[in-house]
Amino acid sequence: MNTSNQTATPPSSRFGTFALVFGICFAILYVVCDMAALPMFTYHPGTDRIDPGFARARPDEGPAMYWYGWIASAALGASILGGLAALLPENIRSKIPLALAWIVPVVLLPVLIYSLKFYWRWE
Amino acid sequence: MDFVFDYISVNTFWTILSIVHALLAVALLGALTHQAAAVFAPPRAGNTGGFVTHFRSVSGPRYATAVCVLWVLTFILGGWIYAKYRIYVRIPIEQEGFFKTLGAFELKEHLTTIGLGLLPFYWHLWKNARNAATDRARKWLTVVLAAICWYAFLTGHVVNNTRGFGL
Repeated sequence: MNTSNQTATPPSSRFGTFALVFGICFAILYVVCDMAALPMFTYHPGTDRIDPGFARARPDEGPAMYWYGWIASAALGASILGGLAALLPENIRSKIPLALAWIVPVVLLPVLIYSLKFYWRWE
Repeated sequence: MDFVFDYISVNTFWTILSIVHALLAVALLGALTHQAAAVFAPPRAGNTGGFVTHFRSVSGPRYATAVCVLWVLTFILGGWIYAKYRIYVRIPIEQEGFFKTLGAFELKEHLTTIGLGLLPFYWHLWKNARNAATDRARKWLTVVLAAICWYAFLTGHVVNNTRGFGL
């Protein structure tokens, strides 16, 4: 089995390149947005209010939610990068390893677990 | 959506959403598990076998679109319920001190989101399944998505057991 072919053969279309780069960048950007507190917006479910960017929970208004904003930030960034990658010439696109699509999420798993260290209390 | 509450209570509405979310997750779990088994441990040629052989004998490409649609639908419903969870489920669980349960649920939220972003490439790989050069990427991406789905399903089940319906 020739594994070098399987990791370096290009997606057959510009959509394939877009999808590959989008998936990789979305995962990375999502984790970055989570750890660096970079939501596109903040949703306050108690009052149904949406603030742009990062906003702290206000007293007596319940919690603030950033998850939707992280998704929006990551999707925007990944769409731009995926679109740019799809415009690259074939000889460059063909060098993007397909294996990154599944390796990146696996590598990000311990990072995510670490980012949630607040919850792993042994008491 | 307020007109719905003329006919059913708020609790009933969110309970129905939670159950539909769970049923979609069951369908997704089944589809992905079949597909992952087929790609990870395909049956040997000529093996007519029993349950396990039939379980992994499905045609992977036929599942790809269904998996994507089910993942998106399950995700949208989960994202809708999540706002309610944040106030009426998470806070009481915090007050009870079940932090590892909450952490496991946060991890589920992160992993399913990352899985969502991988769906376009997953779909692309399966729609071009005849391209042998992508076999390895297709196989492992499917296995990763199946693992995420199993983790999310079990974690959601545990959180539901922790807090329950009728909030």
